[in-house]
Amino acid sequence: MAKTILIVDDSESIREVVSFTLENEGYNVLIANDGTDALKFLDGTHIDLIITDLHMPEMDGITLIRQVRKMEQYMRIPILFLTTESQAAKKMEAKEAGATGWIIKPFVPAKLIAALNKVLR
Amino acid sequence: MDNFKKKFVEEAVDLIDGLEKTLLELEENPEDEAIVQKVFRVMHTLKGNSGMFGFEMIDSFTHEMETVYDMIRNHKLSVSREILDLTLASVDHLKILLDEDNYNDPDVQANHKMLLSKVAQIIQADSETSVASSPLPTANNNLNGDSDKGSSYYILFEPNGNIFSNGTNPLYLLDELHTLGEAKVYAHLNRVPPLKDIDESLCYTYWEAILYTESSVNDINDVFIFVEDESNIEIQKIMDGNVLANEQFVSELDNLSSIQKDIGFNSVQRIAVNISKSSTTQQNVQVKGKDRVVAKDATISSIRVAADKLDMLMNLVSELVTTQARLSLFAEESAVPGLVPIAENVQKLSRQLRDIAFSIVLIPIENMLTRFQRLVRDLSSELGKDVVFATEGAETELDKTIIESLADPLMHILRNSLDHGIEDAAQREKAGKPKQGKITLKAFYSGANVMIQISDDGAGIDPETITQKAIAKGIISADRKLSKREVLELVFLPGFSTATKVTDVSGRGVGMDVVKRKIADIRGEVEIDSEKGVGTTITIKLPLTLSIIDGLLVKVEDTHFIIPLSVVDKIYAVEHEKIAKTFNNVVVLDGKQVPFFYVRREFGHTENTEKFEQVIVVNFEEKSVGLVVDTVIGEYQAVLKPLGKHYKNQDMISGATILGDGTVALVMDTNKIIKLFANHKDFAMEGEE
Amino acid sequence: MNQDNLSRINSYLSFKLGDEEFAAHVGKVLNILEMTKITEVPKAPVYMKGVINLRGTVLPVIDTRIKFGMTPTEYTTNTCIIVLDIDVDGETIQVGALVDAVQAVLEIEKGKIMPPPSIGSKYKSEFIEGVANIDEKFIMILDMDAVFSTEDVTDLLNKTEETQSTTEIEEVS
Repeated sequence: MAKTILIVDDSESIREVVSFTLENEGYNVLIANDGTDALKFLDGTHIDLIITDLHMPEMDGITLIRQVRKMEQYMRIPILFLTTESQAAKKMEAKEAGATGWIIKPFVPAKLIAALNKVLR
Repeated sequence: MDNFKKKFVEEAVDLIDGLEKTLLELEENPEDEAIVQKVFRVMHTLKGNSGMFGFEMIDSFTHEMETVYDMIRNHKLSVSREILDLTLASVDHLKILLDEDNYNDPDVQANHKMLLSKVAQIIQADSETSVASSPLPTANNNLNGDSDKGSSYYILFEPNGNIFSNGTNPLYLLDELHTLGEAKVYAHLNRVPPLKDIDESLCYTYWEAILYTESSVNDINDVFIFVEDESNIEIQKIMDGNVLANEQFVSELDNLSSIQKDIGFNSVQRIAVNISKSSTTQQNVQVKGKDRVVAKDATISSIRVAADKLDMLMNLVSELVTTQARLSLFAEESAVPGLVPIAENVQKLSRQLRDIAFSIVLIPIENMLTRFQRLVRDLSSELGKDVVFATEGAETELDKTIIESLADPLMHILRNSLDHGIEDAAQREKAGKPKQGKITLKAFYSGANVMIQISDDGAGIDPETITQKAIAKGIISADRKLSKREVLELVFLPGFSTATKVTDVSGRGVGMDVVKRKIADIRGEVEIDSEKGVGTTITIKLPLTLSIIDGLLVKVEDTHFIIPLSVVDKIYAVEHEKIAKTFNNVVVLDGKQVPFFYVRREFGHTENTEKFEQVIVVNFEEKSVGLVVDTVIGEYQAVLKPLGKHYKNQDMISGATILGDGTVALVMDTNKIIKLFANHKDFAMEGEE
Repeated sequence: MNQDNLSRINSYLSFKLGDEEFAAHVGKVLNILEMTKITEVPKAPVYMKGVINLRGTVLPVIDTRIKFGMTPTEYTTNTCIIVLDIDVDGETIQVGALVDAVQAVLEIEKGKIMPPPSIGSKYKSEFIEGVANIDEKFIMILDMDAVFSTEDVTDLLNKTEETQSTTEIEEVS
């Protein structure tokens, strides 16, 4: 059965690239364009992995991660966040909020899949 | 009956060639019973078959040799220098005996009797000689063939108790370790509290693993990159090679882990070191695939094929690959539904066909190395010099016909090195060199060529001596100024031997001019480089005649180029601005500084107006260098065609290939190109050097 | 075509480089190709134009004009490539000669061919087999093996040029 991945990013191009790559790999993809939008999916729907950007309007990535970790159903699911290299401090913060791992921007599809394979099988 | 005889001779030749190699192995490992058994079996087979086809002399001879090795395998005799020398001499003798014309030759008869009597002496020798009699000298010859590239590591992974809280599954990380190579993982549950006290949100398990991988330590670190901040990770190298291939190691490890909680790196290393030291049969932990394990005399079935049939096969395969390229192009451009997958299938099949056809026609150089090892062994002993012979790139493949033609020239070059190159022990010591001389044979690919280099650390060639000799012979006038290179080239002139005494070894009237001619016959070239007192290197360049190489098809301005995939490391798309505006021809890729060459500029074209350039990072003498091209089109199976004699003076382009659309693409020799680009400031167009 | 038959044939293919007319023995000519895309091999001698695909083999193409000391060939509809069989060191190899135009196949009897002028000629005589006078024009019959040899000969011009001295030599285009 195909796994479901939720992508959260306010940039359409990122959403498209990521969803294209994942769909090619056989995953089901759900798309949200920021934190608030994402929460709508977290209503009991079965989700196997969340990939989220950190900087988004309305609700940013770190807040989203904290919220997700509070929900019993989604407490343990892997969460990857997208970050640019220079944001080391943000990385710590995101991990403390409960993120599993990260993908550094800009990234090629192969890197995305490699990070995915670390946390989802 | 004649046909069967011919068949026997062919088989016997193969057996005897293999025997020679086995004997050299036996010299390295005199206690190895498997090898002794191999020798015995060959003698036995030869004895059994030769009588049937009328080769009585071989019959009687091998009967005696069989007895010797029977005694050895029953521990009544042990392998000694004397026996090995005798067996090797027998091998030579057997080769002669395979030609019936030699039977009546009085020299052959005499040799035959002499060898037989020697064998008889050995058989009657008492078995009181213990295992340690006439010990063999320390290994003179090293076959550094396909060296083991990987290493074994010890890994400790102790995740933080609340690792689950951010969605990590440590088992996935262990899975990832397995993808890096071969791993054995031990899970430690000793920290798991009794059932009633368990908090299921916490992780109490930790792991130890032994990993053999060809990847780097960084790659291993990468596995744990998400968890390293909140876990205890230890990665330590145990040793080169695969410790897990050694059964003793694994069983000791298993034992240890069942006895005590943690194994610990120190224990692991201790076990490994102990095992590698203690081995009466000199079996190293570094044993890899094709050595001892497989050498249980696997009788691989094989058949003989006439050479011209192979030629036809190769030609057809080449045509198929070319036509398939056109088909692929056509399929892409036409809108016929379903054609593209069919074309892709054809491509896959023709690739497989090509691989197999090549594996039939191309043979690794390794096969011819045995005779060189013997030469070095016999000759160095004869000359009283201590010389080690090392090889690199023995897996490099060459056309079978070329390999045969190479044997003589290479033998001669080796003889020269041994005779005139390597100095005797006293001279070497005076010169501050190690007592043991070294001769290295290196084989590798460069563009569409195979290079074979023989280097020695001997006395080198003195340009003065050569110049004087040339003047004396009237070849050049006394006031002519020659560059070092030109002087060395003189060595290739006929009748040019600087050896003051014509030794039996290399002065047999076979000069370097003959070597050069023989190599030219197989469309190759030979060069000498030498430094007085340091050593000499002779480089032979051979074209890969029948070849289809996997290449990367790129475009620069209007021309298509092929870069052999074997040298390509990575491709990056970089903004034109970055390339055009660097000061020192270095660009940063993936965090590393990579020097690059702007191919357009080097070839005299105008600046590119595109926004992005493609930087192909290639391997150049163990460094990374970038070549900037306009576009990368994709992978391409290139059927190599020679450029022809008119282009013989340039070596940047080692060949050409015809693309699917009929145009010609040029195959780059990146080594030569990079060297040229690097020198372009000094590059003089008129008669360099 | 074996050597015997070959020497009996008196046909020559004439071609033009600029205003000058040359001829090659048909035994040396394989065929004539229309101008096509030539792949340039970088850092080669200036007269080596590049290579083309000739039915699966790679054929080197030489700009004949440059060999003869003229300005490089400018492509017109008449420009073509003559594929030649050249003897080099006992081996026969193929080479393409880029010419401005191919004229005709001429029958020239042996008697009509005069030896090349030893002095005052514009081109070195080792490249010229002879000269024939056809329809008031002087056609230089070339030794193609010499002209297109693989030696690094870059010019066929005589260093001491005396272009005005004889009437046999035509003006440079």
